Amino acid sequence: MSTLRAEARIALAVARKDALAELRGRHATVSTLFFAAVVLLLFGLALGPDAARLAAAAPGLLWLAVVFAGILAVNRLHLLETDDGALEQLALYPVARRAIYVGKALGGFAVMLLLGVLVLGAVGVLFAVDVAKAWLPLLVTVVLGAAGVAAVGTFYAGVTVRLRAREAMLPLLMLPVLAPLLLGAVKASAAALAGDPFDELGAWLQLLVAFDVIMIVAGMATYGYLLEDG
Amino acid sequence: MKTRILGYVALAAVAAVTAVALFVVPSDRNQGDAQRIMYPHVASAWLAYLSFGVTALAGIGWLWKRDLRLDAVAHAAAEIGVIFTAFAIWGGMMWGRPIWGVFWQWEDPRLTTTALLLMLYVGYLLLRRLTDDPERRATRAAIVGIVAAIDIPIVHFSVEWWRGLHQTATIGSPDRVLDPAAPMAFVGTLLGTLGAFTLAWLYLMIRRYQLARAEVAREEARRLDRLMSARTAAVAR
Amino acid sequence: MPQTTIYVSPRSLGAPDTRPPAVATTDLARLFAGNPALAGISLRVEAGRTVALLGPNGAGKTTLLRLLCTAIRPSYGRASVDGLDLDRQAALVRERVAYLSHATGLYDDLSARENLRFAAAMLGTPDAAGRVDRALADVGLASRADDRVRDFSAGMRKRLALGRILLGSASLVLLDEPYAALDNDGMSLVDQLLVAWREVGVTVLVASHSTGRFEALLDGRVTLERGLVVDASGKGVESTPPPLPGDPRPSVVEVAR
Repeated sequence: MSTLRAEARIALAVARKDALAELRGRHATVSTLFFAAVVLLLFGLALGPDAARLAAAAPGLLWLAVVFAGILAVNRLHLLETDDGALEQLALYPVARRAIYVGKALGGFAVMLLLGVLVLGAVGVLFAVDVAKAWLPLLVTVVLGAAGVAAVGTFYAGVTVRLRAREAMLPLLMLPVLAPLLLGAVKASAAALAGDPFDELGAWLQLLVAFDVIMIVAGMATYGYLLEDG
Repeated sequence: MKTRILGYVALAAVAAVTAVALFVVPSDRNQGDAQRIMYPHVASAWLAYLSFGVTALAGIGWLWKRDLRLDAVAHAAAEIGVIFTAFAIWGGMMWGRPIWGVFWQWEDPRLTTTALLLMLYVGYLLLRRLTDDPERRATRAAIVGIVAAIDIPIVHFSVEWWRGLHQTATIGSPDRVLDPAAPMAFVGTLLGTLGAFTLAWLYLMIRRYQLARAEVAREEARRLDRLMSARTAAVAR
Repeated sequence: MPQTTIYVSPRSLGAPDTRPPAVATTDLARLFAGNPALAGISLRVEAGRTVALLGPNGAGKTTLLRLLCTAIRPSYGRASVDGLDLDRQAALVRERVAYLSHATGLYDDLSARENLRFAAAMLGTPDAAGRVDRALADVGLASRADDRVRDFSAGMRKRLALGRILLGSASLVLLDEPYAALDNDGMSLVDQLLVAWREVGVTVLVASHSTGRFEALLDGRVTLERGLVVDASGKGVESTPPPLPGDPRPSVVEVAR
């Protein structure tokens, strides 16, 4: 399995490169977090001030904020590759292209994970929901949800990075595909917060795992074609 | 020639089945005449999903064989699929109004999943429009079609799950038409509608594909012509 | 000027006639939006040769180079690099080809060293850290190694891109207007590299408007015009005109040995 190791190393190199560029002032992460904060505030304004209604809607609002902000994050991460033909250069390296996909998705996952945790905390504060009580299942949900958004988002960001009307196309392509993830994550979060009265948490988490695995495999199988043909 | 015969047969079948659905088959005891729209609705939904499958498979074919005619099949299936999807949604809404009192409701989320399918189609078709180079367009469309097609069963499954956990079995359920205990007349009409609509789908697919294939051939001829003129011009110089 | 060490894979060593042609194309054509950028090239370049690709803007030089490094796919025709088919063995071709394009493919926010470290990881360069430092020194950027590429001039970026090529072990190097935007030192660097590559048996294709500068280093010349080869002369270079509709195949252009 030496090629597996080699591919993993390539993926990590790509992720490290993205992380370096990000830390050096790309501000993708910061602007994503602030966008999520704004979205949450607007939700509060639009659906409030009834605290009970907001608390009931909290799982949905949490994941809507994460998904919308996620669009921004994956877009910015791929924008990095428009630096002076960097994407074409990336395509010329003698590496397995699925490793490049995994590397970029890893970077996306890191950002989404941070985003998810922070938004979770924010939702707890803003909508008076006790997230600390069920922190473990909620954290698992956030991890699985972040992975799904990263996997799908990285793929579609690759599709749209050199497309006309990119800003409109990315959400249009990404969001319908994310519907099952949204459903599963919201239901799992709601179940976790309510103490899982119907014993459904496990089922929803399984759905998320299945979604993540399927989408990562699909991305690995198809992303490479995007790097062909300049 | 054969396609034209297919067209007439399909037209006749659809007309016959419409007549049966409207006038011949008895109306549902509980849902009344509104239930009749379930026949074309279910048939359209079936074809909407079938079309997407064809789009995805043709996309795989393109990636494998690099034959633009396969891409033409994918394009044709997507365009026809979007029509059937839109019709399925419309039918669902038309049924919903008299039965539930509203055009849309969320407790039976299959309307939502069909709407999501519509979004996937629209995204696919828009993506095609935004790329000019034929091969690049075919490749991009193929991978987007494949990933979307993989997503559809997950959507369906997750939503069924959602529904199962919130079981609201009512008399006003569209499932009546699919219920195995339903009277033979219902089942027979449904199968007939399915068959007739599939014939119509097949006819539309063939025609649309023929158009696309002609376009591909025309474009190919144009390209070869340009190539050859460039060569002859060089010799003349 | 510092000494340049060129690392090449064992594949590149050996007498030219024991190696498959570095470049062999059959009727290679590429169209963009219906317009032929390359209208049918049948070209053979012997291994280890340094060949200039000449012609005006829009002649197809860049398109040919991009096809050969697998950045784009052909519309028609076949091509092989080192005997490997471009279409079916593209991954293997990528292991052997290095391409210097107009765009440098560098990341603005990373330093020169970080850019090369990343390239080394992607190229699988052994002793990455050492090789990176060596490459930086060889192209004269050691003093700016930790500066952001964003602050580099066009000439410095190009030198860094050449440094990236040094990290690999290509047997075919494709240079697209390597002298453009370079100052005197930069141009001397390219001269040195051409000599060094030639010495080790690396095949080099240089697309350029003119050959004044590196005339002495050339084995052959291929001139393109409007997507077709109008002249192919020198050693180790051979071209066949593409077939026209209905005409018998023209005779092969003689090769001077």
